[in-house]
Amino acid sequence: MSSVIVCPACDLVHRRDAIMAKARVLCVRCRAELYRTNSASIDTALALAATAAVLLLLSNAYPLVALEVNGSFRATTLLGAALGLYAQGYLPIAALVLVTTVLIPTFQIGALFYVLLPLRRRGRARGQNQVFRALTRLRPWAMSEVFMLGALVALVKLSAMAQVIPGIALFSYGALMLTLSALTSITPTEQFWQWVEGSPA
Amino acid sequence: MTTFVTGRDLGLRVCTHCRATVRAIRPAPARCPRCGASIHERKPHSIATTAALIASAALLYVPANLVPVMRMHTFFGEEDDTIMSGVLSLIQQGSWPLALLVFVASIVVPLLKLIVMTWLLLSVVRKSRGSALQRSKLFRLVEFIGRWSMLDVYAISLIVALVQIRSLATIRVGLGALAFGSVVVLTMLAAQSFDERLLWDAKAND
Repeated sequence: MSSVIVCPACDLVHRRDAIMAKARVLCVRCRAELYRTNSASIDTALALAATAAVLLLLSNAYPLVALEVNGSFRATTLLGAALGLYAQGYLPIAALVLVTTVLIPTFQIGALFYVLLPLRRRGRARGQNQVFRALTRLRPWAMSEVFMLGALVALVKLSAMAQVIPGIALFSYGALMLTLSALTSITPTEQFWQWVEGSPA
Repeated sequence: MTTFVTGRDLGLRVCTHCRATVRAIRPAPARCPRCGASIHERKPHSIATTAALIASAALLYVPANLVPVMRMHTFFGEEDDTIMSGVLSLIQQGSWPLALLVFVASIVVPLLKLIVMTWLLLSVVRKSRGSALQRSKLFRLVEFIGRWSMLDVYAISLIVALVQIRSLATIRVGLGALAFGSVVVLTMLAAQSFDERLLWDAKAND
């Protein structure tokens, strides 16, 4: 391990020995986060990933919301929201919705299993570094919390014209949002490399 | 006064992916020895890429706000909805906190991003030395709030999927939604391609 840390936001050099372990460390000049670690174990991350996998399955299996007008009934699932846009010829927005609400969370969960399960037994998954780089790069595009707020806006707008019935998937997706944010906060990049370096192959 | 020593001064580079410190001996390594990500002293073509993305987003911001994002067909005819008319209908419904939320996320945030990013780019090009800390904090703010503009895209996708009751009303997506979604994606990419260190480089050359 190098004896200095360079701030990725302003290029300032910090001595590592001036920094305590197990902390969130900010750059003295620009206040950007230099690194953040915690005492989370690989097992905690795997448990959260398993929870998220179940919630993601539920969120896709059940309807998100249903609408009732004079006995006419219409429900949609998470995938249905993206497919509806596609059916109307808006492939780019349909893809954007599908990728940010379903595909990226699926990849996040799958990638953690793929990388962490072997790491737990001091093994290395093939392409481990590429997978983890993709995970970090995709992070800003995972938008389950934005989707939840968007769903709230849609429900309020629709409640003016019809009766709105929230579905099981709305609740499970809300829980998924919380689980994923917990998972993201215990797997910062620095933490992952501590796990890698702490279990020599 | 404290003297600040930068990675550039010492010939050190940081892997922006895993934060490993890499010695820039000649030839400087192209990849991080720890995680394999490509390493640059500064993100390549950061100013040009960010400027191009911001310019495209600014162009699309106009249709995003003027062209209907949804069109409702009922017995009584057709009704167009733009982003702003969506905000107004929420106010009419009496849910002004949500109206305010949508107004900020869909109209204020993208505009703020365009203005702030343009200003930051200009400050870098002019090698401005004025408060790099403030500019850095402003950048992190727009980088952080940018994704919340997607809110309206999700609301539209759900409304369109649900309001397909043939006997009463159907809603079709409008081209405005495509422009709006593009603005959000382009401004997010612009923030990602911008190298924050450029804000501090003029200062370091004192």
